[in-house]
Amino acid sequence: MRLLMNTRNLGLTCLLLWPFMALGAAAPLGLALGDDDEKGKEEEEEKESEPIPEEDKDAYFALLNADIYTGTGTLLRGAGLLSKNGKIVEIGYEILIPGRDYYADIEEDERDFRVEILDAGGMRVYPGLVAISSSGLTGASGDFRDSIDPFSSNMILGLAAGITSTGQGRAAVKLKRYISQDPPLAYDFDGVVLSSKTYASMSWSSSSAKRTLREKFTRAAEYLREYHQWQIDVKKDKELKEPKKSGVDGSTLEVLKGELLPRFRADERLDLLGIARFAQEFGFRPVIDGCREGWTVADELGRAGAMAILTARDRRDKGEELRREGGSSIENATLLSAAGVQVAIVPSSKGISLSGIVGRDIMHLTVEVDFAIRGGLSERLALDSITRVPARMMGISHRVGTLEVGKDCDLIVTDGDLLHYETFVQYAVVDGDLVYDKQDELYYAHIRPRPESSLAPEETLDAGENEGSQDEDEDDGDGDGDEDEEKEDDEE
Amino acid sequence: MMILNTLLLATSPLLAAQPAVPGGGTLAIKVGRAETVSDGTVLHAVILIEDGRIAVVGEDLPIERGIPVVDLGPDSVVIPGLVNAYSRQGMDSRGSNKSNPGLRASGELYPAFRDYKKLLEAGVCTLGLYPAGNGIPGRAVAVRTQGSTPAEMILADDVYLKILLRSSASSKSMITKGFEEADEYAKKEAKAREKWEKAKEKADKKNKKKKKDEQEDPGPGPFVAPQKDPKAAAFQELRDRELSALISIRSAGDFLHLFDAIGEEQFDFALRVPLSRETNLFLVKRELKELGCAIIMEPRLSLHPATQRQRNLPHEMVKAGMQLVLIPSSDSLDSHQKWLNDTGVLVGAGLPSHDALRAMTLAPAKVLGLAERLGSISAGKDANMLFFTGDPFEPSNKVKTVMLEGKIVFGEL
Repeated sequence: MRLLMNTRNLGLTCLLLWPFMALGAAAPLGLALGDDDEKGKEEEEEKESEPIPEEDKDAYFALLNADIYTGTGTLLRGAGLLSKNGKIVEIGYEILIPGRDYYADIEEDERDFRVEILDAGGMRVYPGLVAISSSGLTGASGDFRDSIDPFSSNMILGLAAGITSTGQGRAAVKLKRYISQDPPLAYDFDGVVLSSKTYASMSWSSSSAKRTLREKFTRAAEYLREYHQWQIDVKKDKELKEPKKSGVDGSTLEVLKGELLPRFRADERLDLLGIARFAQEFGFRPVIDGCREGWTVADELGRAGAMAILTARDRRDKGEELRREGGSSIENATLLSAAGVQVAIVPSSKGISLSGIVGRDIMHLTVEVDFAIRGGLSERLALDSITRVPARMMGISHRVGTLEVGKDCDLIVTDGDLLHYETFVQYAVVDGDLVYDKQDELYYAHIRPRPESSLAPEETLDAGENEGSQDEDEDDGDGDGDEDEEKEDDEE
Repeated sequence: MMILNTLLLATSPLLAAQPAVPGGGTLAIKVGRAETVSDGTVLHAVILIEDGRIAVVGEDLPIERGIPVVDLGPDSVVIPGLVNAYSRQGMDSRGSNKSNPGLRASGELYPAFRDYKKLLEAGVCTLGLYPAGNGIPGRAVAVRTQGSTPAEMILADDVYLKILLRSSASSKSMITKGFEEADEYAKKEAKAREKWEKAKEKADKKNKKKKKDEQEDPGPGPFVAPQKDPKAAAFQELRDRELSALISIRSAGDFLHLFDAIGEEQFDFALRVPLSRETNLFLVKRELKELGCAIIMEPRLSLHPATQRQRNLPHEMVKAGMQLVLIPSSDSLDSHQKWLNDTGVLVGAGLPSHDALRAMTLAPAKVLGLAERLGSISAGKDANMLFFTGDPFEPSNKVKTVMLEGKIVFGEL
């Protein structure tokens, strides 16, 4: 309903009340009413029945006429996308939209669904960005479900930067904003946290830490071997007891079982090599945060199936005393990727800072990625590094990171190439809800304001058909009226 | 008018007998303008006061001979006595972080507090005093600002249960757990009752069968409900609408969390929102409109977040259909004395003055559950009235006379 209200300003084309769009649909209705009085009565009775509560309605969101970068390497030009209750149900061409292409003859207040249509003509659509780690984007701390601030201005800024999901502490959360609608909908608190435990933190910093780690992994591996043997033996001897779990570290066990990815913090070549060998020895895939000298040992890391979290613009020379290669390299991401290391990229500052040197905070994921591109990384891998790879690292790639049928409808609509520095996020959608519209927020609306004409091309309707369609006119009038009132209120 | 007339006549024989003294007994007051709050503005008003209560209010009513009349002149204005529903004036205990829904603020009432007199002189006739603390600090008490013993001061006890809600799991669980405990108690009580009924049935059967010479089985006696935990009790009372809540939140985010915590539960509550510089409550105007409850705020202009643009949030709340309740800008004597002036700033910024007056009188009286008794100038209510010469919101116009329950307690008529 919010979209209806803002129709003109948002440049959204609402086609809900397009009367008699399908003449075929109108004709049988007329016949039914004319022929069968009883049926007419029945319909009247139905009208008197109670309106369907807003929460019980199916929520559709449709996006039309966009160049969709699905994040899987595919580009669909001039395509559409439909989501139902927050999940993508269709991507492609000639998508049928309820309320427009079918069920168009049901009055709006009698529908058991609501639909928002966003015409993104001429714009690009990408999966919502995934920041592998950030701070302060949700206004929450610790228990995210119960402390999130759905009105946080940092959340709006995060969405403006294209981020729809982020790692915060150990958890992965969505930037679920609440925008008041008419009638109001309950906020989906349960949808805030994607995962409460996204990684197991491992330390490779000191010799004692390494020793402890080895002990933990040895014990966990031993337990797993015992457990597997027991699984075989118990078939023969049912009395056999399950092996004892004492002294087994829970997270380590999860890592060995492949349920959780371990995360190390390491930059130096020797540490990286050590981690790679350790991982190969025990058979798990390490995620290495930092990985500054990774390019010098890319092959080893690749063989160990490592993943890396990089800050692409990192600049640090190697120690002068070292004769080997070392320090940072702008080619780090390129060389690692070439060796099979999946790379996620994140700026050096994890929070939002609106002052100081521009372009280094979490709002500039795409700018950070540009440094990797300068070092030779392909644009496809660059996009991966801020979408599907971080999603994979956090174990949430089954829900976010790419635009595919069945995944969450988290996407951003941009006015140009996502990785271009001039590009703005025009809309952000989380779980099929439009939660950010550049023109509605105070932050960037004034910079290159959206030319309404190019965004919402006037629908070339048949003048004859459209004439006398009271409903549509009324609706337009209403929408603008509401919007104006709202504005007035705000000014007072 | 006829009805009022007869009413006046009817009361007259009684009055004629006793000579009326200003400050007690029966008195008719002629005022240029009466802001009744409940029935709008009455010009050339006549207010008849009898035994501390307002007997009649009307425009140019004829006054029976024998009733003393005070004519305050055409410039005089009368408004109801002010009600501050959310205060800790005269209370000095320190609260804890522990929830204590059974605690009553009336227990720490200190009638000798020297500022009560000054509050009354500033026009504040009624106070809602709440216990200090975080979480659920306890139950508030409504008092008149005069009296030498707690009993003389108290108008009503248990007027609301104060709850502080913040966006955090622990704070939210306070409410959910409270209702859960009430559920558990209800189960426990049902079980005990079942057990008691069985025992009683058994005894009854035995008594029926008994032979004449046998002694009667006394049975289990009257039903005794199991001991109630104060938390369970408070939430049960909320559910049964025997008690209402006053829930303090700070932001639009807290508001959503509040609803998440309440879930399906139904109970009466008022919202308290301390107005900070950038309170963003306007973001949930629609949701507030659906709720339509009382909202307690300071008379203060705030700013649109991240800008210097002024917002009159109290006015926005009135427009959203909320019952606005204003309190002094801080809980000090000074702020009480400037309360009308501070509210005048809101009126200057667009809040209609009748809404402003209601927010300081009848609306807070409702929060305290005393709307039947005070908060407006209408027949049957306590004669709590403030007299001015000119607009009460005009900073240069101070309260000239304060009447508490028919007695002049400050100034003179």
